[in-house]
Amino acid sequence: MNDQQRVLDFVMEAGEVLLKNGAEVSRTQQTMEIMAKSLGVDSFHGYVLTNGLFASMGADYGQPAQIRSVPASEVHLGRVEAVNDLSRRIAQGKLGLEQACQELEQIKNMAYAPKVQQILAGGLGSACFALLFGGAWQDGVIALLVGMGLQVFLQWMNRWGLNKLITKFLGAAFVALATMLLNLTGIGVQPDKSIIGALMYLVPGMAMMLSVRDLIMADFLSGTIRLLDALLTALCIACGVGLVLGLVNLIPGVML
Amino acid sequence: MLLSFLQQLLLAFFGTISFGLLFHVPPRHFAACGIAGAAGWLVYWGMMQLQPSAVVASLVAVIPLTILTRVFAVTRRAPVTLFLIPGIFPLVPGAGIYYTAYAFITGDSAQFVLKGAETLKIAVALAMGIAVVMSVPMLPSNLRADRKKQ
Repeated sequence: MNDQQRVLDFVMEAGEVLLKNGAEVSRTQQTMEIMAKSLGVDSFHGYVLTNGLFASMGADYGQPAQIRSVPASEVHLGRVEAVNDLSRRIAQGKLGLEQACQELEQIKNMAYAPKVQQILAGGLGSACFALLFGGAWQDGVIALLVGMGLQVFLQWMNRWGLNKLITKFLGAAFVALATMLLNLTGIGVQPDKSIIGALMYLVPGMAMMLSVRDLIMADFLSGTIRLLDALLTALCIACGVGLVLGLVNLIPGVML
Repeated sequence: MLLSFLQQLLLAFFGTISFGLLFHVPPRHFAACGIAGAAGWLVYWGMMQLQPSAVVASLVAVIPLTILTRVFAVTRRAPVTLFLIPGIFPLVPGAGIYYTAYAFITGDSAQFVLKGAETLKIAVALAMGIAVVMSVPMLPSNLRADRKKQ
């Protein structure tokens, strides 16, 4: 393998890590270009989409080129930051290709937060939001339980490898159902506040934000993909909640 | 008033940090995320005390939030995304999505249109706010000197 090929492999790998873990398209492209240039490749051409990377080195015959498909996966912002830092150090000339490859390998294996912490954070976040949106403390407690339940549910769902939209749909239905069941005990004051608090994790805040950032950087195609993602996710959440509320409504004597 | 202000501050702060953890923000940036999220929410909350429109409040609130994330990005040398993704959550119209679905299910067409339109308007307001702040060019500073050299 010649040197150019290795640089391309490294740059593509870095781009994939960025894109997968929640970086916007323009940053991914910029970082790849900076890395390639700093590693001594002047004629690097890259094109980045929300779910794919395309790059070539120079226009001569026989120069390496690569295409990568980047399917959506769990977002890890710590990895984005780490690659950002890596590219800065490469640009400063502090790192050679060899070392950079090793570090990238470490970044790729950066741990996710432990599952227990995620469950607790899911509960705490949901409770905070339920209270912020005007719920009573009892609603906060219910949101706490449902939020923790949602994380457990999503971790369990992960095994089945369902697509994202279905997962969000089922997650929203879970939130509505769990809240309704907990409210049967009679402790809840405003069930809607608990549901909203626990729903916040599913809401497409990230897709919306990335869509805007792509669009203002004139990455219209990627921005549109994210925008559609955000709209469809919102729709799926609404359907999931709506389904459960609708079914509950059918039971005689139960008022929402 | 002061007590409820503090309450809102703490709730938004910890709510944002919790979501930061779920998106695997490194712990050393937790405080910055929390401050950004709390700042956005407090401006929103203050605006809601002054006037009734959630759309206006969202637009006004997202601007200081985004400015703050850009400041953090420079001072803490991390991508803006790291602070903006968790920080935006208190302002995202999750309630709007819920009430729209609820109105749809209960057959309240007037509320459905009202809530649906409002949710969409809030989303657009947030988008506009982020877009405006993100398109202002960064002032040259010593902190960015090393990046410029490239």
